Amino acid sequence: MNNYKESKIYTVSKLNKYIKKLFENDFNLQDVWILGEISNFNLHSSGHMYFVLKDKESQIKCVMFRGNNYTLRFMPGDGMKVKVRGDVSVYEKRGEYQLYAKEIIEAGKGELYLAFERLKEKLKDEGLFSEEIKKKLPLIPHHIAVITSPTGAAIRDVITISLRRFPNLSILVVPSLVQGTFAAKELAKKIDFLNKYFKDLDFIIIGRGGGSIEELWAFNEEILARSIYNSKIPIVSAVGHETDFTISDFVADLRCPTPSAAAEMTIPDKNNLINNLSLLNSKMNRAVKRNLELKTENINSASRSLKYQGPENKINQYYQYIDEFSIRLNSRIRHRIELYEERIKKDSQRLGSLSPWAIIARGYSICRKIPGKEIIKRLEQIDLGAKIEVIISDGKILSKVEKKEVVPS
Amino acid sequence: MKNKKKIVDIPFEEYLKKLEKIVQQLEEGELTLDESVKTYEEGMNITKLCLEKLNKTKKKIEQLVIKSEENYSIKPFSEKEGEDTINEY
Repeated sequence: MNNYKESKIYTVSKLNKYIKKLFENDFNLQDVWILGEISNFNLHSSGHMYFVLKDKESQIKCVMFRGNNYTLRFMPGDGMKVKVRGDVSVYEKRGEYQLYAKEIIEAGKGELYLAFERLKEKLKDEGLFSEEIKKKLPLIPHHIAVITSPTGAAIRDVITISLRRFPNLSILVVPSLVQGTFAAKELAKKIDFLNKYFKDLDFIIIGRGGGSIEELWAFNEEILARSIYNSKIPIVSAVGHETDFTISDFVADLRCPTPSAAAEMTIPDKNNLINNLSLLNSKMNRAVKRNLELKTENINSASRSLKYQGPENKINQYYQYIDEFSIRLNSRIRHRIELYEERIKKDSQRLGSLSPWAIIARGYSICRKIPGKEIIKRLEQIDLGAKIEVIISDGKILSKVEKKEVVPS
Repeated sequence: MKNKKKIVDIPFEEYLKKLEKIVQQLEEGELTLDESVKTYEEGMNITKLCLEKLNKTKKKIEQLVIKSEENYSIKPFSEKEGEDTINEY
């Protein structure tokens, strides 16, 4: 072994400081341009930006302080391919080297993003996303399967929420890798396996919690998309947080933004359903009861009207009619008689006032020839010296005509 | 056998729709007595079927353990053991 005493002994901070100096004195590491794809981008509330720059094989941590990043003409985001200018140095506190960015230029879109877009277009053209082939999920699932990591929060959430909504549900957990190189193939195999041996499943939820685009990548791979497409059992895709869309989301029969949301959206609330049923039931009871009451009332009123129309009633009615009629007849006749009596009385009065005696009583008199008793109305009827009688109210006067004189009228 | 079952298996939605229609018919009150008794009986029957459907499953949380392409077993789900079983396939 080496001679311990001759070795130099550093503290950690001294070592890191030394290494930092090495970096800063190396002009190859100062003010350089680095090409890579942004990942895990995080804009801190302090205004500093933290992210990882990566290519297929490797990655480096980056920071861009507020004093530098305010000049950016775009908001960096995950998956963007960029050229970053900056110094590579050491963050002594952690003993990590990182890129201190001063400038970022977009270098076209990231390759993962392009691969995603290419596959999306291809599968879309093949009709894998078409709405018509999407299978409908049953309202009441009895037996469902969940393909996901058996340890994450995702499976816990799905089970908790599902059982809260529908306490007697049968859930088959199908453990699977959900990220990494083999994840897509394994997920696809699990779907195929369930289709082979568990045809009775109402549907399959396949998913995982949120993550970076790399972590979700399995759900963007063609092999999984094909498996979802070929599945006879409806597939619910529930990957990551709300904003992440994956190829699986497009192919699946139903897309949910998260595993929890999948449980909320696919599992019905049993209490709700039962409340609904009992509401309909009591409505039905009420309607039938009212119907019966109505019918009973109908019968009662029918029997009442039957009584009215029976023969007994008819005979009575005729009796009454006859009675009424005879009464009316009587009164009519009496009235008529009274009317006649009245008229006779009036007539006789009028007759009385017209009789000559009544006129004579008022002072008029009648002259008659003697003999002959012809009533004298004109001078020419009589001669001078003829005898006439003048009838007045209480007797007659015998007279002789002494003079005839025409009275001009 | 499974196909046969599927044909008889009317979706729950259909039952609910039927029940709603029955309630509507009864509420309109234009059925004869015989008809309304029959309709009511049908409604009660559907309600019963719905409840049966809601209650027919038993709560089960299980985990699939795939042993080979043709061989699997099922065991009660346990979050702790989950990790080990991933790699069995």
